[in-house]
Amino acid sequence: MENRNDKTAFFGKVTASVTHEMQNVLAIIKENSGLMEDFLLINQTGDLSDIEEKLGKCIKTIKKQAYRGVDLTSGLNGFVHTTDNARMSVNILDLVKKLISITERIFRQKNVNISIIESEKPYSVIIDPLFFQMVSFLCIECLVESFEADGAAAIDIRLSNNQAAIEFLYADSILKYEDYKEKIIHNAQWLKITDLCRQANFKAEISPGGFGILIIFE
Amino acid sequence: MKIKVLLADDEKEFVNALAQRLELRDLSVTTVYSGEGAIEMAEKIDFGVIVLDVLMPEITGIDALKKIKKAKPNTPVIMLTGEATVENAIQGMKLGAFDFLMKPADTELLVGKITQAYTLKYEHEERIRQAEIENIINTRGW
Repeated sequence: MENRNDKTAFFGKVTASVTHEMQNVLAIIKENSGLMEDFLLINQTGDLSDIEEKLGKCIKTIKKQAYRGVDLTSGLNGFVHTTDNARMSVNILDLVKKLISITERIFRQKNVNISIIESEKPYSVIIDPLFFQMVSFLCIECLVESFEADGAAAIDIRLSNNQAAIEFLYADSILKYEDYKEKIIHNAQWLKITDLCRQANFKAEISPGGFGILIIFE
Repeated sequence: MKIKVLLADDEKEFVNALAQRLELRDLSVTTVYSGEGAIEMAEKIDFGVIVLDVLMPEITGIDALKKIKKAKPNTPVIMLTGEATVENAIQGMKLGAFDFLMKPADTELLVGKITQAYTLKYEHEERIRQAEIENIINTRGW
């Protein structure tokens, strides 16, 4: 595994996605503030009877987008700070949730919806948070690539009930389980996942009986 | 007569605000929120200019551009993008896009580009019509 290249590529994908979304947020704010200017200009001649309603709608949109922007930048800030410590105690589900909040656009572009199943007993493990995020991202990419032919897709992420593990599970497929296993094993991302897991003291397994990938913390 | 513009972007709040601003500048705007919607609409209606976002889910703006150019080769397409890389712009221009603008684009600049693209389309169609008329006159010996 070319760690430096993979880490750079991972950072590139995440930041490109967030900054692209920020461009959209700014574009919406810019167009709505411009629209307010347009309305005020027209209203100078007293032509707009519903000016308050029109301006109110624009303000509401701008406010909503400002919050969206704050979520994105704080998400990105949190993400870059996960490089601060090589090993630390991490709430697994929380960290995945944060990663998905800033990368879901990448998968939405591919018509993939990602859900995180809340756990009754969330737990923390001591790991390298960056490695874990890379592995999580690769697991989703690997499933998305393996099932590309299915079209619209859904991936669930949940903690395992009987061991310290997290599972990335593809909701449904027309594939047979044996064919799915073959596809995963031959996917380039699977090699990266297993290699990263070896370095980080995790273990990657193909989910027994489901279209998923299991990451076990040793 | 107002220029008919098709505006396609998956960010609904962006499309809706920009459409209103373009309408206030005397353009007739139809909005769609996907690449698929843009292709369908472009095949049905003869637009003066089409404005497409590059990154849309499922069918991207680049894929939509390819299909639109196949169905309506003379309709100018302006691409909008939030990506600061030149790769998509080069690809889009190779596929026949009229121009490429960074999002958020200056509204007056966009209106200028739309007007310029439509004028060129109109002049091109006028020249074709003129040539057809001359051809009829010549062949019939009028």
